[in-house]
This record gives sequence, structure tokens and C-alpha cells, in this order.
Amino acid sequence: MNFQFIIYFSLLVFLMGIFGIFYNRDIISVFISFQFIIISAVINFLSFSQFLYQSSLWDEIFIIFGIASIYFLMFCIICYFYLKLDLLDREALNRDFILFKVVRHDWCGEDEM
Amino acid sequence: MDFLISISEKINPLQSVMILSFAIFISSFFVMSERRAVKRFIVMLFSVSLILAFYLNIYSFVSAGNFSNVLLSFENLQMIEISIIIFCALNLIFFISTYCRDNRHFIKILSIFLFSTISAVFFVLARNFILMFVALVIFILVIFQLMTVLNSKTDRIKPYIIGFFLRPVLTVILFFFGFSLFYGATDFKDFNQVIQSEYVSNPLIALGLIIFIVAVYLYLFLFPFQGPYIRLARRNEFSSNALIWFSYFPVGIFMLMKLDGLLGFFIEKNNIYAYILLAIAFICITAAGIGAFKTNSLRRVISFLFLFFIGVFILNISMFSAGIITGPLLSWFNIGNIFLIIFSFMPIYSIFSSLEKNTNSDSIDNIRGLGRSNIYLGINLTIIFLSWIGFVHHVGPFIKYFSGTNLIQIGILKLMVLVVTAIAFIFLLINTFRIVIQFFKKPLKDVTEKIVFPRFLYIYVTFFSLVILAAAVWGLLKILNVDIGIMNFEIAGF
Repeated sequence: MNFQFIIYFSLLVFLMGIFGIFYNRDIISVFISFQFIIISAVINFLSFSQFLYQSSLWDEIFIIFGIASIYFLMFCIICYFYLKLDLLDREALNRDFILFKVVRHDWCGEDEM
Repeated sequence: MDFLISISEKINPLQSVMILSFAIFISSFFVMSERRAVKRFIVMLFSVSLILAFYLNIYSFVSAGNFSNVLLSFENLQMIEISIIIFCALNLIFFISTYCRDNRHFIKILSIFLFSTISAVFFVLARNFILMFVALVIFILVIFQLMTVLNSKTDRIKPYIIGFFLRPVLTVILFFFGFSLFYGATDFKDFNQVIQSEYVSNPLIALGLIIFIVAVYLYLFLFPFQGPYIRLARRNEFSSNALIWFSYFPVGIFMLMKLDGLLGFFIEKNNIYAYILLAIAFICITAAGIGAFKTNSLRRVISFLFLFFIGVFILNISMFSAGIITGPLLSWFNIGNIFLIIFSFMPIYSIFSSLEKNTNSDSIDNIRGLGRSNIYLGINLTIIFLSWIGFVHHVGPFIKYFSGTNLIQIGILKLMVLVVTAIAFIFLLINTFRIVIQFFKKPLKDVTEKIVFPRFLYIYVTFFSLVILAAAVWGLLKILNVDIGIMNFEIAGF
């Protein structure tokens, strides 16, 4: 397979992930967008290793440790989301969740509790 | 004895970690206990282990000097950073034991907290990309666990915790992607190797660096992404806020400092980065300054002022990029700024949280008349707040730089940095005097007069104000060029 094609494909997957983070309005879709970026990074690691460094061991170790730790962190947040959240909070998070939501009271004025 | 010395040499930079691990091991036998005596014993054990770790960290550097291998790097800067982390941890134990001593999971909370300290130490020590990355992820994970368990009794906070922690998750994912780009540019495994290599100007390195900066920016909740942090800070349990300010943010700042070298290289090559950084610094400082001024909630004031001081780190890098300060001086400015944050925010937050606990409100009116009803605390707090005027040390290099030169000839970038620094100082001054004036105003009700502060809080605040006074006197002697024969070192660059 062409090296250039793989890099462009990886960039496309990365951009899909970034777009998903900004566009999606529910938390599970945001997690899926995160995974697009992870997949893009893994494609980068493996293609660089294959084409430039004759399949070195270092990138494989990085991928294993990196993915294990990131997924463990995401797993903990998902568990907390499903196990500890009461129904109203879960509905609110599922329906109206934007990761980069900017509202006026976040930087000026008062935040009504 | 020789055996012990050989072990000590082998674990040279990790002596502090070993002590903390040993304390966690001992505490693991008591995690199920809910007896008050056991809780006191564990607090004592952890405090002693942190003091010992603090001592061993400095001792191992003084006795064995710099240390470096494939995984770790232990130099002057790392020693200072680890000392800061351990000092913060010691204070956080104070906060946790003050506000959570009746929690059923108190000993478990302390054990998890010590884990977070160990992972923060590993992150600072890490030289290799893998260790750095894994230590960072574990640190965020442990902080998340701590936040959830500390807030287990707080109502309606769970969506805010999730919203807050999705940002650091995105940060580590972006880090993972950034490392993959670095790997494509060179086969090297740490930042020093990348800087020294001939591939440093590779576009993949530049792209990776931009992604790292974005990731750190998101991690530190700088403008305009501060929403989840500000919302959570308003609703959090007391010790969780301290955890964010004195454990989560310092690690983010050290993360930024790890990128200083690489950032410096690209800034020297292309001036456009310097202008972008300056614009970011200006936006962060101005937004945080206005945010702190426009709110009446003490928690929000402190949260915004924290963001203000994080913006100052970017301002320091801008000063470096404009050529006003040198590389070593940049590190000293950053370290000085961290000290300023820690030594002022810790006593301030301890008093404000105590006030909030007594009045059940975090309104700024609570501190109105505090200086009249409790003169001792009022004076101490005024000293601590006025220590922020120490920010004026940023002007020192400007005076040296501009003295004897024509303002028109020095260039637009340097003038812009000067203007941004002046604006930052004005905002800080406004916010400082807004709070200090509240202390000496006539109280609205007799609220502050009824509040009885615990005795240990007096000792705690006095300690910090004495340290600040000592630093002020030392700085004054330095400016007047008086040698008192105690401090005989010069800060590089001055």
C-alpha cells in the first residue's frame, strides 16, 4: 500500500474525530470521536514504523501502553456515567451535551446554581 | 551499612517515591477501619512520609547530583518541581483531613491521593515519551477517582465532573497523536534528543508541537474553554477545589515547562509564533481579570485569578520569545510564579473555605469587615494579597532592557509585550484592591463577627504570611544590593 495514501487516510480519520468532537451533542458520540483520533494515531505509529524504521519495537510498546491507559481512563468515566448518574442527570447529559459549549456566565457575571 | 548505601545509590532519584510507596503499603492494612485514632495515625504517617520524601528529594540531588538514564531525568529543575509537588501534597493532606475527616472512605481517599502524588512525581521525572504519557494518564485517572469519591455526597455534581474530565481525556488523546507525529519525524524518544537532532525543523515536529500546545491549553482550561472548570469549582466540595488548584494545575504547568525548549527553538526560527503566543497571553489574562472582577462569588474570583496566573506563564514565554528575558531566566520566572501561586492561594483558600462553611454562602460580602472583626487574620490576608504586587518583578527585565534605548527603535513586538504586561498588572491591581478594600469596609451584617476560626488556621496562615514577608525582605535587600551573608547565590540573568 502507498505510504502517502496511508498518511492522508490517517489525517482524514483525525479530522473526522475533531469534527465529531465539535459537532456531536451527546456524550457517547464524543467518546466515539475520541476513538477516531486514537485510531488515527495508531495508523501513524504503525505506518511510520513499517515504512521508515523497519518495524521497530518501540512503537508497538507505545501503542500497547498508550491504548491500555487511555481506554482505562475512558472506561472509568463511562462506568461513572452509567453507574452513578441519576436518571435526570443522564438525560441532561445525553440530550444537551456539547464539549466546547461557551456560555456568557462562564467568563463574565454570575453562574446561577 | 554498605548494602543500604548501595540500595540508596541505585534508587537515587526515586527515594521520595519509595518512601511514599512504603507509606501506602502500611496504610493498606488499615483501609477498612473507621476509627478516629487510626485516621489520625494515617494522617501522621502520610505527613511524616511526605516530609521525609521532601527531604530525600533534595538530599539525593545534593549528594548524587544530576541523574539521567533512558527513562528518567533528574536535574535542578526536576528537583524543584518535585519539591513543589510534595509540598502541595502536604498541604492537600491538611485540606482533606480538615474537610473530609468524617468521610467513611477517609483512609482510602488519602491512599489514592498519595498515588496521585507518586504519578505526578513520575511525570516530572519522566524523560522517555512512554513513561511521560503513562504517568500523565494515570495521574488524571487518580485525580478523577479522587474527585468522584470526595464529591460522593454532593448533590447534582456528577455531570459537571464528567464535563470537566472529558477535557484531560482529550488532552491525553491529543498527546498520543502528537507523539505519533514526532515518531514519524525522528526515531528519538525524548524531547532533548529531538531538540538536538538535525530533524528538529521537520514539519511533522512543528505540527506535533502545535498539537501538544493545544492539548496543554485544553488541560489548563484557558480562555475560552474554562466553562467546565468554573462550573465545577463553584459546586465542588472544599478539598476537591484545593485538589484541582494545587495538584491538577501544577502538573499542567510542568507539562508546559517540558515543552519550553522545543517551543523556544521554533519561536527563534519564526517570529509569527511569538505574536500568536502574545495574543493568547493577552486574551487569557484579560478574560481572567475581567471574569474575576465581574463576579461576586469568592470561589469564582479565586478560580479566575488562578487562570490569570496561568496566563502569566504564557506571558513569560512571550517575554522570552521577544528576547527580553533569557532561557534560564524564563525557568526562574516560571518557578517564581508557581511559588507565588502556591504561597498565596493556599492560605487564602483555607480562610475563604472556612468562611463559606460557616456562612453557607460564597458571596464576597462574607469577607466584608473581616479586617475589623478579626484584625489578626485581616492583616495576614492583606499581606498575602499584597504579595501579588510581587508580579511587578516582570517589569524588572523591561527596565534593564529599555534603559538607555530609544523606544521607537526597539521593535513593535517588545513594545506589545510591555503593553500586555502593563495591562495584566492593572487587572491584578484592580482585583487585589477590590478584595483588600472589602476586608476593611463596614460589614453589612454582623456575620463576620460571629465566625470563630479554628486555632490551627491561625498557625497555618501565619506560617505563609511569614514566608511571604521573609521573601519580601530578601527581595528588598537584593534590590538595595545589601549582602546579609546568608544567601550568596545570584539568579542567573539578573
